[in-house]
Amino acid sequence: MRHFSRKIRKLTAELLDLPQDVVFDLPRMTMIGDRQLYIENHRGVLHFSQDRLRLALSKGELEVSGADLVIRGIWTEEVFIEGRIEAIQMFA
Amino acid sequence: MRDSWLHTLQGIVTIKVRGGSPSALVNEAGAAGVRLWSIRYTEDGEMECELTVSDFFRLRPHLKRTSCRVHVTNRRGLPFWLRKLERRKFFAAGLFVFLAGLYLLSCMIWNVEVKGNVALTEEQVLQAAEEEGIRMYQWSFRMLDVDVLSRRLAQRLPEAAWVGVDKQGTKITIEVVENRNATPPSLYTPRHLVAAEDAVVTRIIAEAGRPVVRKDVRVKKGDILISGTIGAEPNTRTVVAKGEVRGIVWHNYNVEVPLVNRSKVYTGASESRWRLLLGNRSLKISGFGKPEFEQYEVVEQRQQLSWRGLKLPVGRIKETVRESAVLQRELTPEEAKTTGLLQAKADLWTKLGPNIVIRAENLLHEKTENGKVYMKVLFEVEQSITTEMPLVQMQGE
Repeated sequence: MRHFSRKIRKLTAELLDLPQDVVFDLPRMTMIGDRQLYIENHRGVLHFSQDRLRLALSKGELEVSGADLVIRGIWTEEVFIEGRIEAIQMFA
Repeated sequence: MRDSWLHTLQGIVTIKVRGGSPSALVNEAGAAGVRLWSIRYTEDGEMECELTVSDFFRLRPHLKRTSCRVHVTNRRGLPFWLRKLERRKFFAAGLFVFLAGLYLLSCMIWNVEVKGNVALTEEQVLQAAEEEGIRMYQWSFRMLDVDVLSRRLAQRLPEAAWVGVDKQGTKITIEVVENRNATPPSLYTPRHLVAAEDAVVTRIIAEAGRPVVRKDVRVKKGDILISGTIGAEPNTRTVVAKGEVRGIVWHNYNVEVPLVNRSKVYTGASESRWRLLLGNRSLKISGFGKPEFEQYEVVEQRQQLSWRGLKLPVGRIKETVRESAVLQRELTPEEAKTTGLLQAKADLWTKLGPNIVIRAENLLHEKTENGKVYMKVLFEVEQSITTEMPLVQMQGE
């Protein structure tokens, strides 16, 4: 049944040209150069230190690495990071 | 992120988190709606973040669960500021007194101005205004509305057609428009128009009064031309005689014209000298020494810096030195005669004004003697011959 509903969702997304993040609950990231990063749709902080931030996602994890990272603001689904961002990695 | 004013109002604390798992604390806080921001790690590996005061107290249970310990490193915002103010009572009192004083003083009327009064004196208007409560050092909240005030002031000042009261901050402007009175009384007294010279009347037009003379009548100086008394006896009335009477008057002229005409002319040679103007002193900067001309005239031209009609005390003076010479010219007796007649005529125009007609000129006598031409000329001039004579009212007859 779940498999079926996912198929239907994918079909509607393609058919109606809906953004993928809305349909599949994927994170949406807005990055300004290497200094600001805005992540929507996260599921909590797993690890945070000066050079690494690991966030839980609905499916998998996301790791931001860099230097002097600061969480400027954190809300239930969004997080706003500042600092020198060097890499963003996704782990399924 | 700058502190928003809402957070400042609530009070912001900066906390340091030690031990336990700070990431778990961030997650728990986020899930419970406790907002943390500016989360960063310090050099010594401790997490630092900021939150509002009320959120700080709500963080307690989560600390226990994540076995973290916090300690406050910085407090700022309104609650802390008020706490500080509590300790400085006199400062707080002074602040309050200052603000209250400022407010009260701005509620006061500091200036009453009266505009537009001509016949009414300022004191009269201010007196009426004071009776209505408009005066200096009056509280503006004790005064009535401006439109009510202007209506009442207009009732108090019957001479004014309209009174406007305008309040701008601490200044009251009373604008008065006065009644315009009826036509001013006549400034003339009843009069005759009489002859100023012996003359022969050529034209008489009476606008007011009774014409006494006719055209081609010879009149003597002092004769009544237009009478100010009208009506037959005994029902007479006096008026201001008005009109125009012109007549021919004879003017005698003795003219003498020298046969040598001396006139001053410029030779055309000139030189300029400059002076620097500072305040009301001037400093010569060029053209030193005496000019090389024998006879000369100096024309000064002052140039001063000015900006928007404001004269600056700096400028320069140009002096132009012009050479002059006296030119002598011999006149023929004919030329001298015409010059003399022209001079006499010019004198007539200046004495009698432009409204004259020279009817004739008769050369009665002419002789040349001692390098001069002597002439006696008689001019027949048509001119206005009236002059005024006030009528004295005879009473008690």
